[in-house]
Amino acid sequence: MTDLGRRAFLKTSALAASAALLTSPARRVHAAPKARVVVVGGGFGGAIAAKYLQMADPEIRVTLVEKEPVFRSCPMSNEVLSGDRSLDALTFDFRGLTRRGIAIMQDEITEIDAEQHFVRGSSGNRYNYDKLILSPGVSFRWDAIEGLTEEVAERFPHAWKAGPQTLKLRQQLEAMDDGGVFIISAPPNPFRCPPGPYERAAQVAHYFKQHKPKSKIIILDAKDAFSKQGLFQAGWKQHYGDMIEWVSGAAGGIVEAIDPKTGALIGTVEDFHGNVVSPIPPQRAGALAVSAGLTDASGWCPVDQKTFASTLHPDIHVIGDSCIAGVMPKSGYSANSQGKVCAAAIAAEIAGQAAPEPSYVNTCYSLITPDHGISVAGVYDLEDGQIVGIEGAGGLSPMDADARTRAIEARFAHDWFRNITADMFG
Amino acid sequence: MRLRMSSTLLAVGLTLSSAAAAEGVRSASMLANTCAGCHSTHGASAGEQMPTIGGMDNGYLYDVLRDYKTGVRGSTIMGRIMRGYTDREIHAIAAYFAAQPWVSTDRVAVATDLHIARDIHARQCETCHEDGGREQEDKSPRLAGQWAGYLEYALEACREIGHRCRPRKMGERVMELSDAEIAALARFYESEK
Ligand SMILES: Cc1cc2nc3c(=O)[nH]c(=O)nc-3n(C[C@H](O)[C@H](O)[C@H](O)COP(=O)(O)OP(=O)(O)OC[C@H]3O[C@@H](n4cnc5c(N)ncnc54)[C@H](O)[C@@H]3O)c2cc1C
Ligand code: HEC
Ligand code: HEC
Repeated sequence: MTDLGRRAFLKTSALAASAALLTSPARRVHAAPKARVVVVGGGFGGAIAAKYLQMADPEIRVTLVEKEPVFRSCPMSNEVLSGDRSLDALTFDFRGLTRRGIAIMQDEITEIDAEQHFVRGSSGNRYNYDKLILSPGVSFRWDAIEGLTEEVAERFPHAWKAGPQTLKLRQQLEAMDDGGVFIISAPPNPFRCPPGPYERAAQVAHYFKQHKPKSKIIILDAKDAFSKQGLFQAGWKQHYGDMIEWVSGAAGGIVEAIDPKTGALIGTVEDFHGNVVSPIPPQRAGALAVSAGLTDASGWCPVDQKTFASTLHPDIHVIGDSCIAGVMPKSGYSANSQGKVCAAAIAAEIAGQAAPEPSYVNTCYSLITPDHGISVAGVYDLEDGQIVGIEGAGGLSPMDADARTRAIEARFAHDWFRNITADMFG
Repeated sequence: MRLRMSSTLLAVGLTLSSAAAAEGVRSASMLANTCAGCHSTHGASAGEQMPTIGGMDNGYLYDVLRDYKTGVRGSTIMGRIMRGYTDREIHAIAAYFAAQPWVSTDRVAVATDLHIARDIHARQCETCHEDGGREQEDKSPRLAGQWAGYLEYALEACREIGHRCRPRKMGERVMELSDAEIAALARFYESEK
């Protein structure tokens, strides 16, 4: 544990009393079949962990606590911006999980008592656990870009959590005149969905090309390189000519401040003025993980990558975007894969067995047009406690694939979405 | 039926032995769960394009997965995925999915397709894909109840490589099919349960 991590942990009042637990061996879960596992967050990581734990051992009592009444998927939400998809088509309910015997509670967890082993929600309800799994996604660093507050972001939507912000950004794009400029600012690594900002540019270009062909899209990047860069840049050029301009960090893409009135983005070299502005804030672990002191100096949660047990507290597991998972990117597929590894480890521990040897996969499909799909895949295992890519496996769609292959990949992208959400909620 | 039972036993055996196995061995379910992000839980695809793989024949699954890995079988993504698994792991994965129940799509037949497809099937395909594509064995897959989108993709891929499509007899026949015939066949098999 880093010094900083330990200090942050001890600072949390609810956890301060449990400092002794830090040095004592992991609290043993009684082998009784009625172990209670509470999962916080019903998204790509949490829904899967709950379902696969319940499938692994139906006698474990699994409770899933989610603050929203339904789940809205970020994957495919860029299609809402192009007009190809409705928000409804991103929305899922928890009835399938209820039918499987998982208790679903709509509540926002605001307190974790690691010593007493319970969490409490804003409803006042208390949920006792033997094992706690957190998959709360990301939160935004509102201190990173001067002037960019949660309130200002209501007018200049990041839409990096699917929902009202996604619709707002769509409305702004619809209201923009032809010839306007749309600016996206892409955050530094690590962040949720590394190909996301670049897919967003393509989806909006797809809309502009049909309805506002004189418009421009500028991506201001904090980085000098990005995911699937070659495939994206070739695809942009092929379908949208010069409509999309990417400004690397070195070339002046780093945004230092935003003018809260006009939305002008203040760069290191020059300022940028757009008609529609979508600054995607720098990120860290979900707010609950931060306030519970489960993060280290990086802002993300260090875990044992074999079990996803927090290294700051062994009976709390953190999966999905919030955790540090070796070379795995922060994606829905990664969260799915981690949820399964975590569920298997917890089921084994409850059964008094050693954690099983893990296996993980990630795939991110991106759409450049509705008929042009590209992908990146990774297959991983654990080496010396770190998740590493298996050599020779994974990688990108070929640069020279023909139009037919791109069209097939686009169809597989949509089917991936059907299947991963069926895996979560079916 | 006998085939199915033996593959089930094999899969259970593998699961048990690998759970108790030495460090470094990844169990069949651990490996197979990673596939469900694309093929859905237990390989019963909810999609139109991604194939259902749960309940396929053990021998067929093994051959196909190995052929993806070596590149003998073309793919958009399966080659990239399968290169992450050892031969022993591929055996375990195949046995795991073979032990799952086959779940057919809920699609119903379109009358015009039935007319075209039944005829072609009876004359050119039934000898190897018996009982309306319900039969499967270690060399050929079940077609009945598979998603039409996938079947169409597979048949188009076969037609494109023509004589090189395996088995050759099938390649020669698929080569002659029109787009409409391929689409009709795909929807016909999809609607057979
Ligand atoms: C535009 C965009 C496109 C994307 N496209 C893809 C893609 O194509 N493929 C891909 O694999 N990934 C994609 N992603 C990334 C993907 O959305 C995330 O990586 C994934 O959602 C992470 O899963 P998670 O479980 O960590 O968080 P989430 O899925 O966000 O789930 C977190 C859940 O926890 C709930 N929650 C948070 N705090 C609390 C609390 N205190 N109490 C109760 N509930 C709480 C939230 O309401 C939420 O439902 C995309 C992301 C974006 C923004
Ligand atoms: C990223 C998505 C993805 C993942 C992950 C994935 N598959 Fe596939 N699978 C596909 C696609 C797409 C196809 C069609 C072939 C192609 O183009 O790659 C396919 C085809 C197949 C087929 C051929 C079916 C047939 O009728 O011949 C089998 C078998 C299969 N996959 C098994 C697996 C197994 C086992 C795993 C896990 C080890 C897996 N897949 C992981 C997307 C995926
Ligand atoms: C000589 C026997 C034979 C004949 C005739 C035959 N098939 Fe096949 N078919 C096979 C075998 C064997 C496979 C598995 C090939 C492999 O291993 O990739 C197969 C696979 C398939 C597949 C799945 C391919 C995949 O990648 O999942 C489809 C679809 C199919 N056949 C359709 C047909 C149709 C339609 C016809 C008639 C026009 C036909 N077949 C005729 C033997 C045959």
